[in-house]
Amino acid sequence: MKYAPFFGCMITVKYPQMEAAVRRTAEKLGMELVDLEGFSCCPDPIFFKATDKLIWLTIAARNICIAEEAGLDLITMCSGCTATLCEANYHLSREPELREKVNKRLKKIGKEYKGTISVRHIVTVLRDDLGIEKVKKSVKRPLNNIKVGIHYGCHLLKPSEIMRVDDPDSPTILENLFGAIGAQVIHHEKQVLCCGKACMSEAIPEKMTYDVLTSLKKSGADCMGLICPTCFDEFDLGQIKLSRKLKQDLTIPILYYFQFLGLAQGLSPHDVGLHLHKTKTDEIVKKLAS
Amino acid sequence: MKAINYKFREKLNSTIGGEAHGFCYQCGACVGDCPAAMYSPEFNPREILLSAILGDEEALTGENSPIWNCTNCYTCYERCPQAVRPVEVIIALKNICFEKGTNPLEVKDIVDSVKDAGRTVKITSLSDRRRKELGLKEVKIVPMEELRELFEP
Repeated sequence: MKYAPFFGCMITVKYPQMEAAVRRTAEKLGMELVDLEGFSCCPDPIFFKATDKLIWLTIAARNICIAEEAGLDLITMCSGCTATLCEANYHLSREPELREKVNKRLKKIGKEYKGTISVRHIVTVLRDDLGIEKVKKSVKRPLNNIKVGIHYGCHLLKPSEIMRVDDPDSPTILENLFGAIGAQVIHHEKQVLCCGKACMSEAIPEKMTYDVLTSLKKSGADCMGLICPTCFDEFDLGQIKLSRKLKQDLTIPILYYFQFLGLAQGLSPHDVGLHLHKTKTDEIVKKLAS
Repeated sequence: MKAINYKFREKLNSTIGGEAHGFCYQCGACVGDCPAAMYSPEFNPREILLSAILGDEEALTGENSPIWNCTNCYTCYERCPQAVRPVEVIIALKNICFEKGTNPLEVKDIVDSVKDAGRTVKITSLSDRRRKELGLKEVKIVPMEELRELFEP
Protein backbone atom coordinates (compact mmCIF):
# COMPACT_ATOMS: atom_id res chain seq x y z
CA MET A 1 0.00 0.00 0.00
CA LYS A 2 1.30 3.44 -0.99
CA TYR A 3 1.04 6.55 1.17
CA ALA A 4 2.48 10.06 1.14
CA PRO A 5 4.06 10.66 4.56
CA PHE A 6 3.79 14.10 6.16
CA PHE A 7 6.39 14.31 8.92
CA GLY A 8 5.89 18.00 9.80
CA CYS A 9 8.35 20.24 11.65
CA MET A 10 8.69 18.83 15.16
CA ILE A 11 9.55 15.30 14.04
CA THR A 12 11.71 16.27 11.06
CA VAL A 13 13.84 18.81 12.89
CA LYS A 14 13.56 18.22 16.63
CA TYR A 15 12.77 14.51 17.00
CA PRO A 16 14.13 12.76 13.88
CA GLN A 17 14.29 9.52 15.90
CA MET A 18 10.52 9.34 15.41
CA GLU A 19 10.93 9.62 11.65
CA ALA A 20 13.59 6.91 11.68
CA ALA A 21 11.28 4.64 13.71
CA VAL A 22 8.32 5.22 11.38
CA ARG A 23 10.35 4.63 8.21
CA ARG A 24 11.96 1.44 9.51
CA THR A 25 8.78 -0.07 10.95
CA ALA A 26 6.59 0.89 7.99
CA GLU A 27 8.98 -0.95 5.69
CA LYS A 28 8.61 -4.10 7.77
CA LEU A 29 4.83 -3.73 7.56
CA GLY A 30 4.98 -3.55 3.78
CA MET A 31 3.86 0.07 3.60
CA GLU A 32 5.36 2.06 0.75
CA LEU A 33 6.09 5.65 1.76
CA VAL A 34 6.35 7.95 -1.25
CA ASP A 35 8.12 11.19 -0.29
CA LEU A 36 6.65 14.19 -2.08
CA GLU A 37 8.38 17.52 -2.72
CA GLY A 38 7.39 20.92 -1.40
CA PHE A 39 5.57 20.43 1.91
CA SER A 40 5.73 23.28 4.45
CA CYS A 41 4.67 23.41 8.11
CA CYS A 42 1.15 21.95 8.28
CA PRO A 43 0.76 24.88 9.69
CA ASP A 44 0.52 24.38 13.43
CA PRO A 45 -3.03 24.11 14.78
CA ILE A 46 -2.41 26.21 17.89
CA PHE A 47 -0.38 29.34 17.30
CA PHE A 48 -0.61 29.64 13.56
CA LYS A 49 -4.33 28.95 13.61
CA ALA A 50 -4.61 31.64 16.31
CA THR A 51 -3.25 34.31 13.96
CA ASP A 52 -5.47 33.96 10.92
CA LYS A 53 -7.68 30.98 10.17
CA LEU A 54 -7.95 31.74 6.46
CA ILE A 55 -4.17 31.76 5.92
CA TRP A 56 -3.93 28.65 8.12
CA LEU A 57 -6.50 26.85 5.94
CA THR A 58 -4.84 28.03 2.74
CA ILE A 59 -1.37 26.78 3.66
CA ALA A 60 -2.88 23.50 4.88
CA ALA A 61 -4.75 23.22 1.57
CA ARG A 62 -1.51 23.77 -0.34
CA ASN A 63 0.01 20.77 1.45
CA ILE A 64 -3.08 18.69 0.70
CA CYS A 65 -2.90 19.77 -2.98
CA ILE A 66 0.60 18.28 -3.26
CA ALA A 67 -0.79 14.88 -2.23
CA GLU A 68 -3.84 15.31 -4.48
CA GLU A 69 -1.58 15.97 -7.46
CA ALA A 70 0.27 12.72 -6.70
CA GLY A 71 -3.00 10.86 -6.15
CA LEU A 72 -1.89 9.59 -2.75
CA ASP A 73 -3.49 9.68 0.70
CA LEU A 74 -1.56 11.63 3.31
CA ILE A 75 -0.45 9.98 6.52
CA THR A 76 0.62 12.06 9.50
CA MET A 77 2.84 11.07 12.42
CA CYS A 78 2.16 14.06 14.66
CA SER A 79 -1.20 14.78 16.27
CA GLY A 80 -0.78 18.49 15.49
CA CYS A 81 -0.28 17.91 11.76
CA THR A 82 -3.21 15.48 11.93
CA ALA A 83 -5.42 18.16 13.49
CA THR A 84 -4.55 20.82 10.93
CA LEU A 85 -4.72 18.69 7.81
CA CYS A 86 -7.82 16.70 8.84
CA GLU A 87 -9.71 19.84 9.89
CA ALA A 88 -8.78 21.68 6.71
CA ASN A 89 -9.74 18.67 4.57
CA TYR A 90 -13.04 18.30 6.43
CA HIS A 91 -14.11 21.94 6.17
CA LEU A 92 -12.88 22.56 2.64
CA SER A 93 -14.59 19.46 1.26
CA ARG A 94 -17.92 20.45 2.85
CA GLU A 95 -18.06 24.24 2.73
CA PRO A 96 -18.07 25.60 -0.85
CA GLU A 97 -17.81 29.25 0.21
CA LEU A 98 -14.71 28.60 2.28
CA ARG A 99 -13.20 26.46 -0.48
CA GLU A 100 -13.75 29.29 -2.96
CA LYS A 101 -11.90 31.77 -0.71
CA VAL A 102 -9.00 29.35 -0.26
CA ASN A 103 -8.84 28.43 -3.94
CA LYS A 104 -8.75 32.10 -4.91
CA ARG A 105 -5.44 32.38 -3.03
CA LEU A 106 -4.15 29.03 -4.23
CA LYS A 107 -4.76 30.06 -7.83
CA LYS A 108 -1.91 32.57 -7.48
CA ILE A 109 0.52 29.64 -7.22
CA GLY A 110 -1.26 27.48 -9.77
CA LYS A 111 -2.91 25.13 -7.29
CA GLU A 112 -6.50 24.13 -6.60
CA TYR A 113 -7.92 22.20 -3.65
CA LYS A 114 -10.22 19.48 -4.96
CA GLY A 115 -10.95 17.27 -1.96
CA THR A 116 -9.85 14.00 -3.54
CA ILE A 117 -7.63 12.46 -0.85
CA SER A 118 -7.90 11.51 2.81
CA VAL A 119 -5.62 12.47 5.69
CA ARG A 120 -5.07 10.10 8.62
CA HIS A 121 -2.72 9.63 11.54
CA ILE A 122 -0.55 6.59 10.82
CA VAL A 123 -1.90 4.67 13.85
CA THR A 124 -5.32 4.74 12.18
CA VAL A 125 -3.75 3.26 9.05
CA LEU A 126 -2.20 0.47 11.12
CA ARG A 127 -5.57 -0.37 12.67
CA ASP A 128 -7.81 0.08 9.61
CA ASP A 129 -5.73 -0.60 6.48
CA LEU A 130 -3.15 -3.11 7.66
CA GLY A 131 -5.02 -4.55 10.62
CA ILE A 132 -3.87 -5.51 14.10
CA GLU A 133 -3.02 -9.06 12.93
CA LYS A 134 -0.48 -7.78 10.42
CA VAL A 135 1.16 -5.64 13.10
CA LYS A 136 1.29 -8.74 15.35
CA LYS A 137 2.86 -10.83 12.59
CA SER A 138 5.70 -8.31 12.16
CA VAL A 139 6.79 -8.82 15.80
CA LYS A 140 9.96 -10.83 16.46
CA ARG A 141 10.53 -9.90 20.09
CA PRO A 142 7.23 -9.29 21.93
CA LEU A 143 7.53 -6.67 24.69
CA ASN A 144 6.00 -9.06 27.23
CA ASN A 145 7.63 -7.69 30.35
CA ILE A 146 7.19 -4.02 29.56
CA LYS A 147 4.32 -2.20 31.26
CA VAL A 148 3.21 0.78 29.20
CA GLY A 149 1.03 3.62 30.44
CA ILE A 150 -0.56 5.30 27.44
CA HIS A 151 -0.85 9.03 26.91
CA TYR A 152 -3.42 9.57 24.17
CA GLY A 153 -3.09 13.31 23.61
CA CYS A 154 -6.02 15.33 22.31
CA HIS A 155 -5.80 15.79 18.59
CA LEU A 156 -5.88 12.21 17.40
CA LEU A 157 -9.38 11.92 18.84
CA LYS A 158 -10.98 15.36 19.06
CA PRO A 159 -13.11 16.81 17.60
CA SER A 160 -14.50 13.30 17.07
CA GLU A 161 -16.98 14.65 14.51
CA ILE A 162 -14.00 15.41 12.26
CA MET A 163 -11.39 12.87 13.35
CA ARG A 164 -13.70 9.81 13.45
CA VAL A 165 -10.98 7.66 14.98
CA ASP A 166 -12.36 6.43 18.28
CA ASP A 167 -14.48 7.30 21.32
CA PRO A 168 -12.63 10.34 22.72
CA ASP A 169 -13.60 9.51 26.32
CA SER A 170 -12.70 5.83 26.33
CA PRO A 171 -10.51 5.14 23.32
CA THR A 172 -9.05 1.70 22.59
CA ILE A 173 -6.96 2.20 19.44
CA LEU A 174 -3.63 2.50 21.25
CA GLU A 175 -4.41 -0.29 23.75
CA ASN A 176 -4.93 -2.59 20.78
CA LEU A 177 -1.78 -1.46 19.00
CA PHE A 178 0.34 -1.86 22.13
CA GLY A 179 -1.33 -5.22 22.73
CA ALA A 180 -0.32 -6.29 19.23
CA ILE A 181 3.37 -5.89 20.09
CA GLY A 182 2.98 -7.83 23.32
CA ALA A 183 3.28 -4.92 25.76
CA GLN A 184 1.23 -4.91 28.96
CA VAL A 185 -1.01 -1.88 28.87
CA ILE A 186 -1.45 -0.32 32.31
CA HIS A 187 -4.44 1.96 32.70
CA HIS A 188 -3.86 5.13 34.66
CA GLU A 189 -6.17 7.83 35.86
CA LYS A 190 -4.92 10.68 33.64
CA GLN A 191 -4.41 8.84 30.37
CA VAL A 192 -6.74 11.08 28.35
CA LEU A 193 -5.66 14.35 30.00
CA CYS A 194 -4.25 17.02 27.70
CA CYS A 195 -0.45 17.63 27.83
CA GLY A 196 -1.03 21.36 28.22
CA LYS A 197 1.59 22.40 25.68
CA ALA A 198 -0.74 24.84 23.90
CA CYS A 199 -1.57 26.80 27.03
CA MET A 200 0.28 30.12 27.37
CA SER A 201 0.31 29.98 31.18
CA GLU A 202 3.27 28.26 32.80
CA ALA A 203 1.44 27.15 35.91
CA ILE A 204 -1.40 25.24 34.21
CA PRO A 205 0.70 22.85 32.05
CA GLU A 206 3.09 22.33 34.95
CA LYS A 207 0.28 21.10 37.18
CA MET A 208 -1.04 18.95 34.36
CA THR A 209 2.37 17.40 33.71
CA TYR A 210 2.72 16.72 37.43
CA ASP A 211 -0.64 14.94 37.53
CA VAL A 212 0.06 12.86 34.42
CA LEU A 213 3.47 11.78 35.72
CA THR A 214 2.26 10.95 39.22
CA SER A 215 -0.75 9.10 37.80
CA LEU A 216 1.66 7.02 35.69
CA LYS A 217 3.99 6.33 38.62
CA LYS A 218 1.09 5.28 40.83
CA SER A 219 -0.14 2.86 38.16
CA GLY A 220 3.11 0.88 38.21
CA ALA A 221 3.87 1.53 34.53
CA ASP A 222 7.52 1.24 33.43
CA CYS A 223 7.18 3.92 30.81
CA MET A 224 4.87 6.20 28.88
CA GLY A 225 3.81 5.42 25.31
CA LEU A 226 2.53 8.18 23.06
CA ILE A 227 2.02 9.15 19.43
CA CYS A 228 2.60 12.90 19.32
CA PRO A 229 5.91 14.82 19.30
CA THR A 230 4.33 17.83 21.00
CA CYS A 231 3.19 15.76 23.98
CA PHE A 232 6.67 14.20 23.96
CA ASP A 233 8.19 17.69 24.01
CA GLU A 234 6.11 18.56 27.05
CA PHE A 235 6.89 15.39 29.02
CA ASP A 236 10.46 14.41 28.08
CA LEU A 237 12.30 17.57 29.05
CA GLY A 238 9.33 18.69 31.18
CA GLN A 239 9.68 15.86 33.69
CA ILE A 240 13.37 16.62 34.25
CA LYS A 241 12.67 20.31 34.84
CA LEU A 242 9.75 19.54 37.13
CA SER A 243 11.68 16.92 39.12
CA ARG A 244 14.42 19.49 39.77
CA LYS A 245 11.99 22.21 40.70
CA LEU A 246 9.95 20.07 43.10
CA LYS A 247 12.94 18.00 44.33
CA GLN A 248 10.93 14.87 43.65
CA ASP A 249 11.74 12.06 41.22
CA LEU A 250 9.05 12.23 38.57
CA THR A 251 11.15 10.73 35.80
CA ILE A 252 9.84 7.90 33.67
CA PRO A 253 11.01 6.85 30.17
CA ILE A 254 8.83 8.04 27.31
CA LEU A 255 8.73 6.37 23.91
CA TYR A 256 6.87 7.06 20.70
CA TYR A 257 4.70 4.12 19.58
CA PHE A 258 6.85 3.40 16.52
CA GLN A 259 9.95 3.15 18.67
CA PHE A 260 8.23 0.41 20.70
CA LEU A 261 7.08 -1.24 17.48
CA GLY A 262 10.63 -1.10 16.08
CA LEU A 263 12.06 -2.71 19.20
CA ALA A 264 9.41 -5.42 18.98
CA GLN A 265 10.26 -5.97 15.32
CA GLY A 266 13.87 -6.60 16.31
CA LEU A 267 15.41 -3.18 15.60
CA SER A 268 18.12 -1.97 17.97
CA PRO A 269 17.55 0.88 20.46
CA HIS A 270 19.98 2.92 18.37
CA ASP A 271 18.01 2.25 15.15
CA VAL A 272 14.99 3.93 16.73
CA GLY A 273 17.06 6.71 18.30
CA LEU A 274 16.50 6.04 22.00
CA HIS A 275 19.89 7.63 22.73
CA LEU A 276 18.49 11.01 21.71
CA HIS A 277 15.91 11.17 24.51
CA LYS A 278 16.49 13.52 27.45
CA THR A 279 14.97 11.06 29.93
CA LYS A 280 17.07 7.90 30.02
CA THR A 281 15.52 4.80 28.50
CA ASP A 282 18.09 2.32 29.90
CA GLU A 283 15.54 0.54 32.08
CA ILE A 284 13.44 -0.26 29.03
CA VAL A 285 16.45 -1.48 27.06
CA LYS A 286 17.43 -3.71 30.01
CA LYS A 287 13.96 -5.24 30.07
CA LEU A 288 14.24 -5.99 26.36
CA ALA A 289 17.38 -8.00 26.95
CA SER A 290 16.03 -9.95 29.91
CA MET B 1 -25.25 47.14 33.66
CA LYS B 2 -23.15 47.52 30.51
CA ALA B 3 -24.85 47.76 27.12
CA ILE B 4 -24.27 44.90 24.70
CA ASN B 5 -21.63 45.77 22.13
CA TYR B 6 -23.28 44.48 18.94
CA LYS B 7 -20.55 45.85 16.74
CA PHE B 8 -18.02 43.53 18.37
CA ARG B 9 -20.46 40.63 18.10
CA GLU B 10 -20.81 41.30 14.37
CA LYS B 11 -17.03 41.25 14.10
CA LEU B 12 -16.94 37.89 15.89
CA ASN B 13 -19.74 36.59 13.67
CA SER B 14 -17.75 37.43 10.57
CA THR B 15 -14.56 35.75 11.84
CA ILE B 16 -14.22 32.07 10.88
CA GLY B 17 -15.21 29.92 13.89
CA GLY B 18 -16.91 32.75 15.78
CA GLU B 19 -20.27 32.41 14.00
CA ALA B 20 -21.99 30.18 16.54
CA HIS B 21 -21.17 32.13 19.72
CA GLY B 22 -24.70 33.53 19.93
CA PHE B 23 -26.20 30.04 20.31
CA CYS B 24 -24.59 29.58 23.74
CA TYR B 25 -27.30 29.25 26.41
CA GLN B 26 -24.81 29.20 29.28
CA CYS B 27 -25.41 25.61 30.37
CA GLY B 28 -21.77 25.18 31.44
CA ALA B 29 -21.27 21.76 29.84
CA CYS B 30 -17.97 23.11 28.49
CA VAL B 31 -16.59 23.75 31.97
CA GLY B 32 -16.73 20.37 33.73
CA ASP B 33 -14.06 18.58 31.70
CA CYS B 34 -12.05 21.64 30.64
CA PRO B 35 -8.46 21.01 31.80
CA ALA B 36 -7.56 24.71 31.88
CA ALA B 37 -10.59 25.36 34.12
CA MET B 38 -9.72 22.37 36.29
CA TYR B 39 -6.22 23.71 36.91
CA SER B 40 -6.97 27.42 37.02
CA PRO B 41 -10.07 29.03 38.55
CA GLU B 42 -9.48 32.12 36.37
CA PHE B 43 -10.19 30.20 33.18
CA ASN B 44 -13.82 29.40 32.48
CA PRO B 45 -15.09 28.79 28.94
CA ARG B 46 -18.72 29.51 29.91
CA GLU B 47 -17.69 32.94 31.21
CA ILE B 48 -15.68 33.58 28.04
CA LEU B 49 -18.79 32.79 25.99
CA LEU B 50 -20.87 35.07 28.23
CA SER B 51 -18.43 37.91 27.57
CA ALA B 52 -18.71 37.12 23.85
CA ILE B 53 -22.51 37.33 23.98
CA LEU B 54 -22.21 40.68 25.74
CA GLY B 55 -19.63 41.80 23.18
CA ASP B 56 -17.11 42.64 25.90
CA GLU B 57 -14.26 43.45 23.55
CA GLU B 58 -11.78 44.64 26.17
CA ALA B 59 -12.18 41.60 28.43
CA LEU B 60 -11.73 39.20 25.52
CA THR B 61 -9.22 40.87 23.24
CA GLY B 62 -7.39 43.22 25.63
CA GLU B 63 -3.86 42.61 26.89
CA ASN B 64 -4.98 40.50 29.85
CA SER B 65 -7.49 38.30 28.07
CA PRO B 66 -7.89 34.82 29.61
CA ILE B 67 -8.29 33.20 26.17
CA TRP B 68 -4.56 32.44 25.87
CA ASN B 69 -4.82 29.92 28.71
CA CYS B 70 -7.00 27.61 26.64
CA THR B 71 -5.16 24.31 26.11
CA ASN B 72 -6.85 23.68 22.73
CA CYS B 73 -7.86 20.18 23.81
CA TYR B 74 -11.26 20.34 22.03
CA THR B 75 -13.16 18.75 24.93
CA CYS B 76 -15.63 21.68 24.97
CA TYR B 77 -16.23 21.04 21.26
CA GLU B 78 -17.26 17.48 22.23
CA ARG B 79 -19.46 18.52 25.14
CA CYS B 80 -21.37 21.55 23.80
CA PRO B 81 -25.03 20.60 23.12
CA GLN B 82 -25.50 23.72 20.98
CA ALA B 83 -22.58 23.13 18.58
CA VAL B 84 -21.09 26.47 19.63
CA ARG B 85 -17.59 24.94 19.48
CA PRO B 86 -16.26 27.15 22.30
CA VAL B 87 -12.62 26.41 21.37
CA GLU B 88 -13.24 27.68 17.84
CA VAL B 89 -14.86 30.86 19.24
CA ILE B 90 -11.76 31.31 21.42
CA ILE B 91 -9.51 30.85 18.37
CA ALA B 92 -11.63 33.39 16.43
CA LEU B 93 -11.09 35.81 19.34
CA LYS B 94 -7.35 35.15 19.08
CA ASN B 95 -7.52 36.02 15.37
CA ILE B 96 -9.12 39.34 16.36
CA CYS B 97 -6.30 39.93 18.91
CA PHE B 98 -3.79 39.50 16.08
CA GLU B 99 -5.59 42.07 13.98
CA LYS B 100 -5.47 44.48 16.90
CA GLY B 101 -1.91 43.58 17.92
CA THR B 102 -2.84 42.49 21.45
CA ASN B 103 -1.52 38.93 21.09
CA PRO B 104 1.33 37.58 23.25
CA LEU B 105 4.71 38.07 21.56
CA GLU B 106 5.74 34.41 21.90
CA VAL B 107 2.90 33.41 19.61
CA LYS B 108 4.07 35.84 16.95
CA ASP B 109 7.61 34.41 17.05
CA ILE B 110 6.35 30.98 16.04
CA VAL B 111 4.32 32.40 13.18
CA ASP B 112 7.27 34.52 12.01
CA SER B 113 9.34 31.36 11.87
CA VAL B 114 6.83 29.87 9.41
CA LYS B 115 6.89 33.11 7.40
CA ASP B 116 10.70 33.09 7.27
CA ALA B 117 11.50 29.44 6.72
CA GLY B 118 8.21 27.60 6.25
CA ARG B 119 8.60 25.71 9.53
CA THR B 120 7.80 26.24 13.21
CA VAL B 121 11.12 24.68 14.17
CA LYS B 122 14.21 25.90 12.34
CA ILE B 123 16.82 23.56 10.92
CA THR B 124 20.16 23.74 12.77
CA SER B 125 23.54 22.06 12.36
CA LEU B 126 22.58 19.84 15.32
CA SER B 127 19.34 18.70 13.67
CA ASP B 128 21.24 17.98 10.44
CA ARG B 129 23.82 15.93 12.34
CA ARG B 130 21.17 13.94 14.16
CA ARG B 131 19.36 13.11 10.94
CA LYS B 132 22.56 11.98 9.29
CA GLU B 133 23.48 9.82 12.25
CA LEU B 134 20.06 8.14 12.07
CA GLY B 135 20.53 7.49 8.36
CA LEU B 136 17.86 9.97 7.30
CA LYS B 137 18.00 12.20 4.23
CA GLU B 138 18.49 15.95 4.48
CA VAL B 139 15.39 18.01 5.26
CA LYS B 140 13.66 19.13 2.09
CA ILE B 141 13.55 22.83 1.30
CA VAL B 142 10.20 24.63 1.57
CA PRO B 143 9.38 26.68 -1.57
CA MET B 144 9.10 30.00 0.26
CA GLU B 145 8.14 32.08 -2.80
CA GLU B 146 4.94 30.01 -3.07
CA LEU B 147 4.22 30.18 0.64
CA ARG B 148 4.67 33.95 0.83
CA GLU B 149 2.04 34.44 -1.89
CA LEU B 150 -0.48 32.72 0.34
CA PHE B 151 -0.03 35.14 3.23
CA GLU B 152 -1.55 37.93 1.12
CA PRO B 153 -5.14 38.14 -0.15
